[in-house]
Amino acid sequence: MSTWSQINLMDPSSYIMSQMNLFHDHAMILLVGIFVFVILMGVSLLKNKFHGRLVHEAQTLEIVWTIVPALLLVWLALPSLRLLYLMDEHPQSSNTLKAIGHQWYWSYELPAKDNMMLDSYMLPEESLESGQYRLLEVDNRPAVPYSFDTMIITTSSDVIHAWTLPSLGIKMDAVPGRLNSMNINPFVPGIFYGQCSEICGANHSYMPIVVEAISMEDFTNL
Amino acid sequence: MSSHLFRLALRATKVPQRTISSSSVCKANIVLDQALRDEIHPKIGNREIVGYGSNGLATYIDSCEFPCPAIRFKEPTAEVIKLQEKEKGDWKNLSLADKKELYRISFCQTYSEMHAPTGEWKVIVAAVLLTLSATGWLWMYVKQFVYSPPVSTITVEWQNKTLQRMLDQNQGAISGVASKWDYTKQRWKE
Repeated sequence: MSTWSQINLMDPSSYIMSQMNLFHDHAMILLVGIFVFVILMGVSLLKNKFHGRLVHEAQTLEIVWTIVPALLLVWLALPSLRLLYLMDEHPQSSNTLKAIGHQWYWSYELPAKDNMMLDSYMLPEESLESGQYRLLEVDNRPAVPYSFDTMIITTSSDVIHAWTLPSLGIKMDAVPGRLNSMNINPFVPGIFYGQCSEICGANHSYMPIVVEAISMEDFTNL
Repeated sequence: MSSHLFRLALRATKVPQRTISSSSVCKANIVLDQALRDEIHPKIGNREIVGYGSNGLATYIDSCEFPCPAIRFKEPTAEVIKLQEKEKGDWKNLSLADKKELYRISFCQTYSEMHAPTGEWKVIVAAVLLTLSATGWLWMYVKQFVYSPPVSTITVEWQNKTLQRMLDQNQGAISGVASKWDYTKQRWKE
């Protein structure tokens, strides 16, 4: 989860998220390079005392500044597509977690646990115990086994919501009348927090998502 | 009036278009037809049109990109005409004051005057500081009278408990808070 004054991405808790962090670094290399180049050009233009009213026909420059950005975009696109297809892999997972969005809470179903159903409401500030996270804690949280693929299926009963767990690198719209699915595979046990990421009404900011990753043994004994 | 008309008029008076430069035009007479004269001269007075300028319009503009404006700056009064007649003779007969006056007849500012600092930055800084101070007052008012009291989780005690909870949950095990805590020694890593 995020801590105070955090501006970076969260520590990854799944391999997909660590790949996303690496891609983010890759994109930032490009962006910082472009930014520095633009700053240098700007400073050079400001310090230049010459006037060029009659500049015409700079063909070589036009060719260079067309080809180079195209190559930079290819440099950005190739890892991006690789990651996109990596995220889209759906191994046959025997564990499923259904997340249904409501205004303004989440409900979960675990078919592997005799279709256990639970509603997950945010804990209001007055109900928090000392030290609990405001706007993030919920009364019931689903569990998934770690180091195991779990398929998350989201949908909604009313308006569009979005099920998000940033440290697992997952964000999926919960659209009424549609089932979206994605896989998660936390590589550590822990508790992962997220918040609804699609505006869904007055209490959109007050419907967090909390998932607990536990060992397969504990999950079996639930 | 468009520059097209100006060029059309000049062409009609047999001044070749390609020679519309400040120096060659000075040697030719620019004769406009009555209609154009009625349109242009009420705007510029009696001032002499001497060239194309920056865009073909008969306006006076001081600019280092276009050094020679389309019209002279001053109107041809008796003193001006007398000095211009004197200019046609030997320039050694011109005094420094004459030369300066001849410059001022044709031009409004010198290059130094064009590029001299205006001090406008002081006005801009003053306006920005005034705006910032107004914002400051507004912010103090809103903070005092509008905002609700801060939440209970903002206290130092709660934040310490939150930090302990993050450590208990092993949040940020790679580069976050838990990575800086030594779990065996139960203290921060050095």
